[in-house]
Amino acid sequence: MKIGLFIPCYVDTLYPEVGVATYRLLKHLGIDVTYPLHQTCCGQPMANAGFEGEALPLVKKFEETFNAFDYVVAPSVSCTAFVRLNYQRLLGEAHECTTAQKAMDVVEFLHDVVKVNQPLGRFPHKVSLHNSCHGVRELRLSSPSEEHIAKFNKIKDLLQLVDGIEVVEPERPDECCGFGGMFAVEETAVSAQMGIDKLNRHIATGAEYITGPDCSCLMHLSGVAKKQGKDIQFKHVVEILAAGI
Amino acid sequence: MGTQHSKAAKEFLKNQDYAHWHDNTFWAVRQKRDNMAQGLDEWEQLREKASAIKRHTITHLDQYLDEFATRAERNGAIVHWAKDAAEFNEIVYGILKEHDVKKMVKSKSMLTEECGMNPYLEARGIEVVETDLGERIIQLKGQKPSHIVMPAIHLNHDDVGELFEEKGISDEKGNHDPTYLTYRARLSLRNEFLTADAGMTGANFGIAETGDIVVCTNEGNADMSTSCPKLHIAAIGLEKVIPNYDCLAVFQRMLCRAGTGQPTTTYTSHFRKARPTAEQMHIVLVDNGRSDWIANPEHWEILKCIRCGSCMNTCPVYRRSGGYSYSYFIPGPVGINLGMLRSPLQHSGNVSACTLCLSCQSVCPVKIDLGDQVYKWRQQLDEFGTANSSKKLMCNAMTTLFSHPSLYKMATAVSPLANILPPFLINSSLNPWAEGHDMMKFPKKPFHEMAKDLNISPKA
Amino acid sequence: MSTKEDILKKYRNNVHERYPMPDLSDIAAVTYTDPLAQFIEMSKAVGGRVVELAEGQSLDDLIRQCYPDAHEIASNLPEVTSATRNPDTVENAQALNGTDVGIIRGCFGVAENGCIWIPQHMQQKAVCFISENLMILLPKSQIVNNMHEAYHRLRQAEKDSGTDLLNDYGYGTFISGPSKTADIAQVLVMGAQAARSVTVVLLPQ
Repeated sequence: MKIGLFIPCYVDTLYPEVGVATYRLLKHLGIDVTYPLHQTCCGQPMANAGFEGEALPLVKKFEETFNAFDYVVAPSVSCTAFVRLNYQRLLGEAHECTTAQKAMDVVEFLHDVVKVNQPLGRFPHKVSLHNSCHGVRELRLSSPSEEHIAKFNKIKDLLQLVDGIEVVEPERPDECCGFGGMFAVEETAVSAQMGIDKLNRHIATGAEYITGPDCSCLMHLSGVAKKQGKDIQFKHVVEILAAGI
Repeated sequence: MGTQHSKAAKEFLKNQDYAHWHDNTFWAVRQKRDNMAQGLDEWEQLREKASAIKRHTITHLDQYLDEFATRAERNGAIVHWAKDAAEFNEIVYGILKEHDVKKMVKSKSMLTEECGMNPYLEARGIEVVETDLGERIIQLKGQKPSHIVMPAIHLNHDDVGELFEEKGISDEKGNHDPTYLTYRARLSLRNEFLTADAGMTGANFGIAETGDIVVCTNEGNADMSTSCPKLHIAAIGLEKVIPNYDCLAVFQRMLCRAGTGQPTTTYTSHFRKARPTAEQMHIVLVDNGRSDWIANPEHWEILKCIRCGSCMNTCPVYRRSGGYSYSYFIPGPVGINLGMLRSPLQHSGNVSACTLCLSCQSVCPVKIDLGDQVYKWRQQLDEFGTANSSKKLMCNAMTTLFSHPSLYKMATAVSPLANILPPFLINSSLNPWAEGHDMMKFPKKPFHEMAKDLNISPKA
Repeated sequence: MSTKEDILKKYRNNVHERYPMPDLSDIAAVTYTDPLAQFIEMSKAVGGRVVELAEGQSLDDLIRQCYPDAHEIASNLPEVTSATRNPDTVENAQALNGTDVGIIRGCFGVAENGCIWIPQHMQQKAVCFISENLMILLPKSQIVNNMHEAYHRLRQAEKDSGTDLLNDYGYGTFISGPSKTADIAQVLVMGAQAARSVTVVLLPQ
């Protein structure tokens, strides 16, 4: 099983340690993972802003870069969801898009494909879990609070494999944090208010860390936290899973 | 980059106590809705059925409308057809004039709001009295609804207390207790019910098989509005017609559970013809754009909407910006979409008021893909000429950068980054991102540089 | 003015794909082991009161017991001899204003939500809404589980009898508890525009 590692643009530039943790974790689990050079961005920022046309060259490039792999694994739920749900339509029916099927967020890859159940690293802290919207409602990493279905949470399942950890969830566990890409710069006031509200609910759990499957939500919340002078730390889920490995 | 919505939202959020109250109030309604959904094991099955019934119905509406009208006429109602708001208003005015109506009481109808009926009739000397308490409050206040189910939600009990004192509805100055105020409104409205010449209702459903107009209220004001006056006029949008009682059962069960978190509205009333001692019952079927919207390949499913309001209650943006921030008279996720169908030139600003969190389509009882539709509208803004030019420029630049890995690598090698990256990557105090956030620190090396050290890439 | 044909033709031409009607027979709707107990619980939950007419007790006694201060009692039911007004014979609907208690008959109750089906059975339906307090008589054997059963029962009765159940008066309503509103600051208040209290009187089998 050959895995292509996709490190989205903002993770690459701002959170390289998340890329490293993802790689380490996959390696630790004996997975054959490579990182193709010349990868950049999946096209989601432009498409969500209303410019799918701008995303198209990136879609083609992504497909070219990753189509030889069995899976494309990324530490980002929103990029993964974008690839899975939009790529085939964007490429058009004439071109089969293989990466749409192969793209997986690292959490669902570990949970559903690798089916990890051995003890992972050690992280003796209380962490508040941030369920990112596209993880919940597009990739279904957890049961959306709106739906009447059996409760599940794949992120929580994985975090339970970490030694010493205590995982909690805030009130309104899957309400949006207010990032939303361009939303954060177009609707600055609402975005910041949503961020503050979300942050306060995380802090109210008494956790030392906020963790989640998407760096964009964490980037937003940590920017708000610093501005508000709130003292809480942020880690991507894979950083915790790989802690001490 | 500020849209009308973003500016209005900023104002809304300045009163933090009020903003928190607003958010918490609607979240509480969402939670009541959740309790109802969790209380029915068949909830998700009902959503599937409701969606499928609506899909079927609105794609066979020509047949069901014909059946409905034929049945209603056989029952004894008089059926009218209006192609647009202007015709609707003319028809209603014509009926009222013919019967020499001076005063009309009416129960809640977003359709009459859509058509601007009240001002039209008032300009022609007819007194229109809203009888839903919330609608009555905003009518007295000279305002528009800020929510389709809870129209006066933006006012607190002091606002209403002062309004009632000013209008002579309450006589105990300073008593702003909601129970007292509701009682005073009851007395005042009772007098209106007894003296009106006509009663108007909206319609939650029209039943093709039986010709029934079905109206759901908690206050009983639709029933009061039709119990005394000599005339009943029911205003109904084309898409409110459904096939039969079996379908009605599905929607009756969901409407209130989704909208207000109640197991049912207090009254679910079926009207087939005029009361024995009344003169006539009229039904006005209104198109006003609906027959165009069904042709829209990407957005026709918005016609499935049953106007429960649950998408507003769950929307994190609506809850933190209020109904008046939106340019269309229906706010929130469904309002963003309906506004775009009505007039993209006027209402494009609303499509930015969405994080694409998709909670709306997860609560929607008829499974309209509300958030996905917002995404689709965004793709069309450029074509309408309403796209934000700086956003367009930025996206264009990002594509150039990201399409050329060598360029991207060069750019990321020089931090802080060039002005072509998304604003949250630009370290500048002029950046709108900096309004709510502290800027992030750039790491020494991007991942693609570290990858070289890790030696995990195939040789170039 | 537009005609029906114009609007329907335009609509018909604009439909691009027609979807089939789903099968509704497989809806796994909630049922209860004791529908009556559930009905009583829901009636209370929606703000209503439920009493049972005791063996040998007269309806007039029960009305007085429930509403001792009532002066004006409106009903067209022969068993309510204490009625001071009759919705069949009042001059107009307005004449029912000021009614302290209205007494009407319900057809069947719905366990899941406390609804009672009330087809109009009087000249002036105003009595159902204008009365300050409403008493609804309901045979306690007549409880269905949910709204699917309720609407099926209504439609079936029309089909079986070959008549229009609402034909005489053209109106019927499901009522579940008293009139209510939360339009002022989301505070729930009983007694908006219609009955301020509802008492369901369960009649013996």
